[in-house]
Amino acid sequence: MSTIRGRGRSLEIAIDRALPAAIAELRVQLEERPAFFRGSRAAANLGLVDADLAALEALRDMLAEFGVTLDGVSGDESLAPLLAQLELAYLGATPAEEVAAIPRPRLKRSQVLSDGARSLVADFAGARADLAARRTEREAAALERQTPVGTPVASAGVTIPATPHSAPAGISTLYHRGTLRGGQTLHNLGNIIVIGDVNPGAELIASGDVVVFGALRGVAHAGAQGDASARVVALELAPTQLRIATMIATPEGSAVERGPQHAYILGDRIAIVPHAVADLGRREVPV
Amino acid sequence: MHELQSEPAPDASSQPRKRGRAIVVTSGKGGVGKTTTTANLGTALALGGATVALVDADVGLRNLDIVLGLEARVRNHVLDVLEGRVTLDDALINDKRVPTLRLLAAAQTREKDDVDTPAMQALIDSLRDRFDYVLIDCPAGIEKGFTNAIVGADEAIIVCTPEVAAVRDADRVVGLLGNRASIKLIVNRLRPELVRRGKMLSVEDVNAILRLPLLGVIADEPGVIIATNKGEPLVLDESSSAGAAYRAIAGRIAGTDTSAPEIPLPPTLLQKLGSFFGGRR
Amino acid sequence: MSARRIVLTSGKGGVGKTTTTANLGAALAKRGKRVVLVDADIGLRNLDLVLGLEKRIVFDLVEVVEGRCQLRQALIKDKRFQALSILPAAQTRDKTAVSETQFAAVVDGLEGFADYILIDCPAGIEHGFRNAVAGASEAIVVTTPEVSAIRDADRVIGKLNERSLPIRLIVNRIRPEMVRSGDMMSVDDVVDILGVKLLGMIPDDEEVIDTTNRGEPIVLTPDSRLGEIYEKIARRLDGEHVPFTALTAPGLFGRLFGARKAG
Repeated sequence: MSTIRGRGRSLEIAIDRALPAAIAELRVQLEERPAFFRGSRAAANLGLVDADLAALEALRDMLAEFGVTLDGVSGDESLAPLLAQLELAYLGATPAEEVAAIPRPRLKRSQVLSDGARSLVADFAGARADLAARRTEREAAALERQTPVGTPVASAGVTIPATPHSAPAGISTLYHRGTLRGGQTLHNLGNIIVIGDVNPGAELIASGDVVVFGALRGVAHAGAQGDASARVVALELAPTQLRIATMIATPEGSAVERGPQHAYILGDRIAIVPHAVADLGRREVPV
Repeated sequence: MHELQSEPAPDASSQPRKRGRAIVVTSGKGGVGKTTTTANLGTALALGGATVALVDADVGLRNLDIVLGLEARVRNHVLDVLEGRVTLDDALINDKRVPTLRLLAAAQTREKDDVDTPAMQALIDSLRDRFDYVLIDCPAGIEKGFTNAIVGADEAIIVCTPEVAAVRDADRVVGLLGNRASIKLIVNRLRPELVRRGKMLSVEDVNAILRLPLLGVIADEPGVIIATNKGEPLVLDESSSAGAAYRAIAGRIAGTDTSAPEIPLPPTLLQKLGSFFGGRR
Repeated sequence: MSARRIVLTSGKGGVGKTTTTANLGAALAKRGKRVVLVDADIGLRNLDLVLGLEKRIVFDLVEVVEGRCQLRQALIKDKRFQALSILPAAQTRDKTAVSETQFAAVVDGLEGFADYILIDCPAGIEHGFRNAVAGASEAIVVTTPEVSAIRDADRVIGKLNERSLPIRLIVNRIRPEMVRSGDMMSVDDVVDILGVKLLGMIPDDEEVIDTTNRGEPIVLTPDSRLGEIYEKIARRLDGEHVPFTALTAPGLFGRLFGARKAG
């Protein structure tokens, strides 16, 4: 894991993995104490990590967001001309023992979510802070129309259990009949079902799935505490913004697909899939 | 009619008076025509024979008196009544052109926070005991002024122009109004020619979001600004089409007009030439 | 050099504050200024909508105040301009969520990002208005040449004078043909009544409705009459002496009815 250490009156940033990932890690750390480093100067040590011009620029810009000025970078000498273009100092090659000494604690699963997101009382603000922390340099994942090819949904041989399946303890489904107007919100630790429209300016935030039996025109956040297998389903999917776990999607253009649609994470994007061909299984998606 | 006597003529029948209807005219967004609508609907209902009280709830930024042309006659206002300095009867201003219409003006030099919400509710209730209709002109926004304006009303009229910002604000207000007996829509300032060219939202576009029963649609015309500047409600002008639209809406509110609202159409070329050569409107 | 913090207010709703804030901000950004627009209309936000940025909102002003995100995270950069960003209001809260001191602190926080901070004020003179003004050191009052709007503008000017803010006036939605026929007040009449220095006069133009519905600032429309006028106002705001230009009213056959000043 990339680290930030104070050294005298400046900061030393040790990078031990590919820059884009390192930048995301550093961002999480900086956001825990956003004002703490403001006004500092820093030097980054890339060790043996490669970087291109865009990645170096992104590192510099990300640090600048927190008021940290990147003065120079040490690492492989191929960095030197790139740094010159960005008007950053090349601080020389990193000595071998320094590279070995860069601490590399393993990323614990529980570190992925912020304190807020982990709390049982669903603090969705915490989840959203986490969401911002994990956002990459690209603005938002685009919505993609996809017809999944290949394996048909296995439906033969489904048995109906003798007793109704009950949700795990503490998880509920909030059922609301009626149209949600701008400014109204529904939050639930669990799923949310709305029979009615969700107008622009209204928000649905669920740790589970969001289902709208009507037109979804507002904002829906499914998997708000980090469950990337959650999904949003609507009769008419025309949201102002769609969020699943830590991904945000902003629909491009005003084309509205006819008929019920599902939205769920496929790979590194949110896919929009017509109900007729949507995969209904609960997949494990690595965060 | 004697100036100081502001009590409407007593009901001829011996039955107890049916409680009046209290309707708030609101929108969320400012400048869409709430005050003009309140003034015109009130005037039209009164011309039809009903007793009507208009209440200006826009404390600090009162305008209902201007639109009715009564600003010179304002002596007392809502806060004077609520704070016990003057009786309701003395504060109600009558309109010589329309005998069964009364206006309760807002205070100009005070703030909306000065109005106590339960007291406002009580005021509207007492007006309902004396008038067939109490129309409340709501201020823009959703702050204390809005809360005070809606508290006494169990019906609401949403005024909305065909613009995205207005629709969004109106939707917020509908959400805040909650469960009221009736919430209905007036679409104001429609420009049918722009709708035809795809440069303005249509009535269907507006109601796709708001989903409210439509009371009426009023087309934009320069006559509206002229009339409000002069303090002459449009419903008094036989040649105004906006005035006619307001009269029809009043009829629908009263239940005497069962026609469906008309959506104004773009003018034909002949009509355009006619208006250019023949006159202003 | 510190940023100029300007609140755009009116008293009366619907006179064009938000549209003016958006377009004036865009015009300033076009001139290379760093501009941040702040929507102070908590609960009824519209600034994002008229700029077409509503789909990109993740955080808002209330969340900044409540410390749930950084100011920088809440700013949305308008990609059509070099340095134009907006700080959106919250939609699901109301104006009491933020105090005057908190609002002023947020505007303070924007100092490093901007040459111009334009604050879009909500209608009225209540809590939202007080918040918006608390963040400002100058004011622009927007009015239309209608009696009700002028009365409300007058009230607002009184309130602004209490706080000793320098004030300039924009008169919006002028219809020159109605001024000529005596059915609308002239800009001179309005300036006389309100007694405030004129910054700009903007004619009524149906293009504005379409552009705000589409989320496109009109300064991006090439050869737009209104776009040019906003750019002139931006230059005046920046200290340039720009004379008010003559405006002709369009007739059915394009005949000139005589010049009326506007710009």
